[in-house]
Amino acid sequence: MGARDQHGSGAPWGDDFRAVGKSLRKIEGLSKATGEAVYADDIVLPGMLHAKTLRSPHAHARIVSIDASKALALEGVHAVITGADLPTKYGVIPWTKDENALAVDKVRFIGDEVAAVAAVDEDTANAAVRLIEVEYEELYSYFEPEESLERHEPAIHEKNKHGNVSKHVELDFGDVDAAFASADVVLEDDFVFHGSTHAAIEPHCAVARTSADGLVTLWSSTQITHYVQREVSRVLGIPQSRLRVIQPVLGGAFGGKSDPFSLEFVVSKLALITGRPVKMLWTREEVFYAHRGRHPMNLRYKTGVTKDGQITGVDAKILIDGGSYSSFGLVTTYYSGQLLTGPYDFPSYRFNSTRVFTNKPPCGPKRGHGSVQPRFAFEIQLDELAEAIDMDPIELRRKNDIGESTKTVNGQRVTSNGFGRCLDEVERASEWKSRRGKLPMGAGLGVAGSMYISGTNYPIYPNDMPQAGIQLKVDRSGLVTAFTGGNDIGQGSSSVVRTILCEELGLDPLDVRVVAADTDLCPVDLGAYSSRVTFMVGNATIDACRKLRKLIVEAVAAKWEIDAKRVYLGTGEVFDTDERETKITTREAFEIAEAFHDTLGSTGAYNTPTLGGDYRGGSIGASPAYSFTAHVVEVDVDTETGMIDLKNVWVAHDCGRALNPMLVAGQMEGSAYMGIVEAVFENHRVNRFGLHSGPSLLDYPLATSVDTPELHALIVESIDPEGPYGGKEAGEGPLHPALPALSNAIFDAVGIRLRELPFTPGRVLAALREKAAADSQTGGTSC
Amino acid sequence: MLRLPKFNLVSPKSIDEVVQALADSKGRGRILAGGTDLLPNLKHEFIEADIVVSLGEVDELRGIEVSADGGLSIGPLTSLADIASNEHVLRIAPALAQAAGTVAGPQHRIMGTIGGNVMLDTRCQWINQSHFWRSSLGFCLKKDGTACHVVEGGSRCVAAASNDTAAALASLGASLDFQNAPTEHGDGKRTLEFEALFKADGAWNKKVTPTELLTRIHIPATPRGHRGGYVKLRLRGSIDFPLLGVASRLDLDEAGKIEHADLVVIALQARPTRVRKAAKLLIGTTPGQANYDTAVAQVMDAAYKQCTPLPNIPGDHEWRQEMVPVYVKRALAAALG
Amino acid sequence: MSSLIALELMINGDRMRVSAEAHWTLLELLRYEIGLTGSKQGCDKGDCGACTVLVDGKPQLSCLILAGTAPGKQIQTIEGLQPAHRKAGGTGLDPVQDAFDRCGALQCGFCQSGMMLSARALLNENPTPDRAEIREALSGNLCRCTGYTQIVEAVELAVAESVGAEPKTPSWAKDKPWTESLSSKKGGGDQ
Ligand SMILES: Cc1cc2nc3c(=O)[nH]c(=O)nc-3n(C[C@H](O)[C@H](O)[C@H](O)COP(=O)(O)OP(=O)(O)OC[C@H]3O[C@@H](n4cnc5c(N)ncnc54)[C@H](O)[C@@H]3O)c2cc1C
Ligand code: SF4
Ligand code: FES
Ligand code: FES
Repeated sequence: MGARDQHGSGAPWGDDFRAVGKSLRKIEGLSKATGEAVYADDIVLPGMLHAKTLRSPHAHARIVSIDASKALALEGVHAVITGADLPTKYGVIPWTKDENALAVDKVRFIGDEVAAVAAVDEDTANAAVRLIEVEYEELYSYFEPEESLERHEPAIHEKNKHGNVSKHVELDFGDVDAAFASADVVLEDDFVFHGSTHAAIEPHCAVARTSADGLVTLWSSTQITHYVQREVSRVLGIPQSRLRVIQPVLGGAFGGKSDPFSLEFVVSKLALITGRPVKMLWTREEVFYAHRGRHPMNLRYKTGVTKDGQITGVDAKILIDGGSYSSFGLVTTYYSGQLLTGPYDFPSYRFNSTRVFTNKPPCGPKRGHGSVQPRFAFEIQLDELAEAIDMDPIELRRKNDIGESTKTVNGQRVTSNGFGRCLDEVERASEWKSRRGKLPMGAGLGVAGSMYISGTNYPIYPNDMPQAGIQLKVDRSGLVTAFTGGNDIGQGSSSVVRTILCEELGLDPLDVRVVAADTDLCPVDLGAYSSRVTFMVGNATIDACRKLRKLIVEAVAAKWEIDAKRVYLGTGEVFDTDERETKITTREAFEIAEAFHDTLGSTGAYNTPTLGGDYRGGSIGASPAYSFTAHVVEVDVDTETGMIDLKNVWVAHDCGRALNPMLVAGQMEGSAYMGIVEAVFENHRVNRFGLHSGPSLLDYPLATSVDTPELHALIVESIDPEGPYGGKEAGEGPLHPALPALSNAIFDAVGIRLRELPFTPGRVLAALREKAAADSQTGGTSC
Repeated sequence: MLRLPKFNLVSPKSIDEVVQALADSKGRGRILAGGTDLLPNLKHEFIEADIVVSLGEVDELRGIEVSADGGLSIGPLTSLADIASNEHVLRIAPALAQAAGTVAGPQHRIMGTIGGNVMLDTRCQWINQSHFWRSSLGFCLKKDGTACHVVEGGSRCVAAASNDTAAALASLGASLDFQNAPTEHGDGKRTLEFEALFKADGAWNKKVTPTELLTRIHIPATPRGHRGGYVKLRLRGSIDFPLLGVASRLDLDEAGKIEHADLVVIALQARPTRVRKAAKLLIGTTPGQANYDTAVAQVMDAAYKQCTPLPNIPGDHEWRQEMVPVYVKRALAAALG
Repeated sequence: MSSLIALELMINGDRMRVSAEAHWTLLELLRYEIGLTGSKQGCDKGDCGACTVLVDGKPQLSCLILAGTAPGKQIQTIEGLQPAHRKAGGTGLDPVQDAFDRCGALQCGFCQSGMMLSARALLNENPTPDRAEIREALSGNLCRCTGYTQIVEAVELAVAESVGAEPKTPSWAKDKPWTESLSSKKGGGDQ
């Protein structure tokens, strides 16, 4: 299958890259610089109605009745819909479809959607929402995951076979108990990871329009157009071919726009009912309810090492608080165990992960899906083990580096691996050797490492079709247009496509257009998640380019009556390598090719090779290539207040080949920022009433420019044999080590081990007191 | 969008027109200065208005002047950014400049006014939320309800005065000119000592009504040896409201001995809190000498005992209490520079 | 009870006659009535800075300004930055916009209209800010994508090029990684 072709990692036209590796501007950058870029809420259509949602004020309740007559009677109201209008359940994972666009029979958290109104303007829609009368019968609510594990009545999802357990996974690799017996030091501890959310600055927004013959167009701030199309068409009962989903310019996502969301179904339905365009823009508060953020986890880790620092075995038990719906929870549960098995060699490993439902906003995939929490726990434990055997923490990590061209204990194939160099880089740049353990009281350095996927071979719904597809249109004007289903969510995926086209066809960036994420125009791509885009769309693009190039070269060679091998088109000029004076422009070459072959074009695709362990779930988390990261964090702890001053983060990341170093660095910095500040400022939780503790950007504080440490991106390039020119990923991997490296830095600074997030000043202060009390008892000062 | 409820808007050009418009509103008017507090509160619907009276075009409400006695006369419409950087304020009332400079973020300080800051509504984690959120919770004493979620069974709202400049203005002994529309009983004007403005009821923590216009802020002259400071506890270095704010005042004589001392804490309860023992313990000591250090330790202790933050605003109130002495110490250090 | 008011506004140097209801914010007016959608909404209550516009040259939050109070003020939105630069004799874009693009600061871009306007206001007041001053001036504009590094670097690049100094090379680059500037040194940026 063409999709699995290997194109090698070298430059297409000889030794040097011309576009790859350059920090070119982003394809849409200038439109963002000038304010022209059109985001979902910038779309205004003639006759457009505005929709608003009525939400549940109860955490868990049965809906007894809904009376919308007063709302419907209000002047300017065009339609009111409830769960009865959209009864089909949906969910991103085919096995766990447990959501309704509007509640059917019951509500499961405060903020759950109950009804929706379309009206002439927002004020009228808001007024109408308040006129809808709903009678509820309150049910017992679950706010603690431990309770959901124990108690199953009432069930949050009645049809769920396992009470309030959403997913349970237990996997075992090697003899862990024997491994502990053979270790010199075994540590076992509990860790707590709090909830956090994406908080992209753009709130979710969707606009739908229908045509008289029943075609529906849906613009949505989604990062996965394809799944939205699948689910919305299914729930609405219209063929996929008649629902066009378009992702406008997207104002940030980070996983928070991966699920199909209520508003997409609702605006489509309301547009079908009213025959008018309908927009719904969520308020910031509503975005917090939609959530799908990082799962809170309670984690117990047990790890053994030998005196000389060899890890012998790891045992994990994890309780995952899923909130009220499944979302990606099946994958989360697997990821919580499956993704830990690098960058270190585990001779033996087992994990036991359970995700439960609670009556809280549903959790889902947030940057570093499912694996940030285990990484947090494990990398702190490694630090403690290093201390226990009196070994430098970087050294311990180096010692256990799994290396390249190998397999993890759970059967994941590792191709390229630059982890060792990542450790070298952060060690050098942070002046680790001369500073760690030697900074004044209050200041400290900490390290952590990680590994992450570049997409996986698990396509969410089983199918044998390509995961990424691309189509190229070329014509005599000299312009090449690429049509890709890949979602550019600000990370620069369309820019990567452009770079590849420039490289392969010798084009000037201004002669390339990229049309992305429009289901009517673009071949299917599975969307922006699991850090799959550069790897998969990149490979598909190379695939399409090579086919096109073959056509062009063939035509030019025929015209010049030379061997096709002699035709070079890598620089904007097309020439005969044997007789350099024989040359034409790329545009002229396109003309020749168009005359020779008729209208020109090509397609390209990518699918992963068969990957993963031969066991149930073995393919979840199996990636064609893994990225590697190491962080060193520097902090200053104010021992009077417990406040943590984040000074520096050195982020070394092996992204494979950096196709655009500026974009790679941006992803590394953005990831490191997102990780480290979620440890210090953020806490996505409900209060004692089950109500979101503060659904605003004031109460859920995002770090400002003065709170963010200096971020030093250090790019490490291990050239991957299967990635596009050897590229892998940079969007999520570089987040992981931030949180444990911070905890480890705090230990270096003030001698306390923080195993529970978030690191609030009160908690830091309490730990400092505890330590002081312990020190005074033993007479020691271990810092 | 999070829409504003409907109201009418007027933009008078003089104080007289403003007070008339407010009088005409029959208590259903609200004064709009920078809008950085009023508009979020209107959006959250715990404040209601039929008519919003914008002060934006009333130029006589602007400006910072040095008054005849060497103090300051400040128009309430002066922006916090101007207060923070004004040379007279920096010299005569340094604590006020520091406090104004820590309010919210850069844009808020450009928009936000000192008058709006003085008149800022109290804050509470259970009230600064949307109508939907509060309706789910059950309304509270401050608006439409009968219960308090902070003090169970409480009959008085304990939402926190959270205006950074209030602590500084209290320590500076400021006074405030207010104006109502004239009636047959009088010209409608009155002057209040700064602290007399506040009462211990978070539902409305002021002794003037919401439709009484603040027209001038007076700060008496400070002596040559005046030192003032303001420090603020907050999680982020920008945007956040105070979790605790402490203004300090130390007036030194020529020998460097403290003649007058004051400490005022904000963001505890509905009114600014003066640390009662501060003056008694600090006066007569000399910074740099042991007697001062001893006094500071005692003041810290006294402040800790007197100031008990409630779980009204977000944040761990027990930690906030532990921060009281630390911030008292830091406020005194800030004054001495 | 909300009155429709006729307004005469100065937006990006143009006098405009529009009407608005009393309870509309300037942000709503700009975006939905005038069609200047470059100003963004991230919270609608003063918490994020995405709606920042320049009012009489100073960054303010348009979600907390009533449209009805805007007459008499010079309002500049992101759409006005390049035209102002051209009007002042420059070519290309305002150097701030150009530097943001060249430094990779425009990830999702949603925060960036506000961010660039805050940066522009800073440079108008202080043409050579240091890193701490840049961070301070931008601290009312939340960005969730970049971690602020490339934003700060962009402002530093614009500053360095405006005074002909050597810009600092980012940690990840061996030497100057930036594409060529599209802006002339003259123009609104140097006023
Ligand atoms: C995200 C955010 C963060 C903030 N952080 C802080 C902070 O850290 N510290 C802080 O102190 N504040 C903070 N604020 C609140 C606010 O920005 C400031 O308090 C500001 O000073 C308010 O001034 P204003 O002119 O905008 O007030 P407005 O909103 O116009 O008015 C506030 C109140 O005062 C009344 N009022 C205004 N002027 C007068 C007058 N002349 N006479 C009588 N009544 C009047 C109004 O009717 C209203 O009730 C924050 C606000 C936001 C949105
Ligand atoms: S203190 Fe009590 S009454 Fe006052 S706002 Fe808070 S919850 Fe309401
Ligand atoms: S939209 Fe105005 S500050 Fe967030
Ligand atoms: S670039 Fe996305 S929020 Fe700043």
